[in-house]
Amino acid sequence: MEHPVIELNQVVKHYRIGDNQISALRGVDLQLQARDFAAIRGPSGSGKSTLLNICGLIDRIDGGSYRLAGEDISELDEAACTEIRRKRMGFIFQNYNLVPVMSVFDNVEYPLLLNNVPKAERRALVSDILDKVGLTGFAERKPDQLSGGQRQRVAIARALVKAPLLVIADEPTANLDTDTAEHIVELMKSLGHRLGTSFLIATHDDRMTRHCDKVFSMQDGVIA
Amino acid sequence: MNHIQLAWKNVLRNRRRSFVTIFIAAVGCASILIAGGFALWTYDILIEGASREFGHITVADKSFFAKEEETPMQFGMQQDNRVAEYLEKNPEVATLLPRINYSGLISNGDKSLIFLGTGAELAREAAVRKYFLVVREGAIPRGEPSQLPQILLGVALARNLGAKVGSQLTLIGTTAATGGINAVDVEVAALVSTGWSEVDKRLVFSDIQTAQNLLMTDKISTLSVFMHHLDKVPAMLETLAAYDGEHAYMPWWEQAQYYHSVRALYNRIFGLLGMIIIALVLFSVINTLAMAVVERTREIGTLRALGAHPREIIAQFVREGGIIGLAGVMIGNLVAAAVIWTLPYLRLQMPPPPGRSEGYPLLVAGSPTLTLVTNALIVLLCMGAAWAVSRRAASKPIVDALGHV
Repeated sequence: MEHPVIELNQVVKHYRIGDNQISALRGVDLQLQARDFAAIRGPSGSGKSTLLNICGLIDRIDGGSYRLAGEDISELDEAACTEIRRKRMGFIFQNYNLVPVMSVFDNVEYPLLLNNVPKAERRALVSDILDKVGLTGFAERKPDQLSGGQRQRVAIARALVKAPLLVIADEPTANLDTDTAEHIVELMKSLGHRLGTSFLIATHDDRMTRHCDKVFSMQDGVIA
Repeated sequence: MNHIQLAWKNVLRNRRRSFVTIFIAAVGCASILIAGGFALWTYDILIEGASREFGHITVADKSFFAKEEETPMQFGMQQDNRVAEYLEKNPEVATLLPRINYSGLISNGDKSLIFLGTGAELAREAAVRKYFLVVREGAIPRGEPSQLPQILLGVALARNLGAKVGSQLTLIGTTAATGGINAVDVEVAALVSTGWSEVDKRLVFSDIQTAQNLLMTDKISTLSVFMHHLDKVPAMLETLAAYDGEHAYMPWWEQAQYYHSVRALYNRIFGLLGMIIIALVLFSVINTLAMAVVERTREIGTLRALGAHPREIIAQFVREGGIIGLAGVMIGNLVAAAVIWTLPYLRLQMPPPPGRSEGYPLLVAGSPTLTLVTNALIVLLCMGAAWAVSRRAASKPIVDALGHV
């Protein structure tokens, strides 16, 4: 039987601000299956960004356990987490977070460069994914020569170019108009299905949640 | 795209700031090459001056360098000896010059002054000393017949004696054998300068025969050996010591006290200058790269999220530092080369150093070793600065880096 992509059990996360300890997550249980297109929603301060960061291994848990594709990764050190992010995860940010000095092609190529993919293979993979996101003619442009929707397509291509197990997306449609947001969501979902990639998306955009297979609602550090 | 191309793009990200940093690295590199090259040129002049004055190797009696002579020529040696014969036949040797060191009084009849004399083969001596023995008036005698023995007189001594070219003077000295007084009449053939005002006040060059007549001896003081190649001197010293243990062999560097003093002084001065330049370059590069790192903190967070290890982020900045350093040294080398090649045409003179009456040409030596060391130092400095400033940002928690505004 296939393991869940993400399996969180009683995950706890605290932050210390001055002398005060704030519990951002208070025992979260969550399962995400392969090819799931799931959203986490909730008001500001509910803990959805923290949960997203934990699932994306860019923040560590203080209690509970985290299994990724059946492997317990709760206690991995930073270097091992980096290797997992590099090989098995993609990220899409609200503000696109493209590297301004790199062309569209270079931005999408970067994760492959990190994975030491041979040059010819890199070129083929980048061209293919740019074609899939509809940016074939934009490869040499810089991010500042693109619209918001195009930038987010580049970010999607960058996240998916290595066909990862999981893509973490933080408010990917927050800065986009309705039509563009719809297209972006549809693009993410269709590519996710084609590549076998699961999506975990933090959002409070109903346009996004309508397309999701699962919606986790966060409230005060727990999934309601 | 590869990592070097990415580093180049990042260097060009803020062109003005990068160019200023490259400019500072270039100025630092050129300054070190020019200042260091000037010191090397000075050392070369001093080495040449010392070796032309003393010879690359001075052959003398065993006691000559160890003890003070109580009577003239006490530690003299025969001009024709086994070592001299060997050296004359040795292809590494360019010239052999016998010399007699003596002193006494020089008189114009009314006034007598102390002189320090050298008996030598005057034409060959002048040729060997070249621009370290400048003829101010008259000409070097080349064996032309004359009524009186001819001498070269220091310009300051001539001025004090009121002597001119053609003046007849008397050399008075102590004889070698008995310690009695002897005198020889001489004629001034030329007024010369060594560039040392204190030396020129006492300077007399005579031929060997005149010096031997005055001292009543058939000996010489030393035999100066001039070789074709300076770097062969140590080997020749070993060969001579093995060949003939009857004599002492003194290399030029053990007699060149002024060279060692200047070198020690310049090493400190230019060493300190170099350290100041290095510090300025270092602070400038650190400042520029620190600004770049702060501005790119969010980007660093993104790259870390995408799977870049902190060491890979640091390596990226180190490559950028390396590119800045390389660009800086390339420009610095060009500037230094332009200065080195232009200076001889400008014919600039340095003022006379303390104790000297003559200045010397302002030139800069081009040294491959200095260039290599300086280039490596500047590039490593830039890379080190990049490493130092990027370490903290690369290790910052990704969540904090992504939230950086």
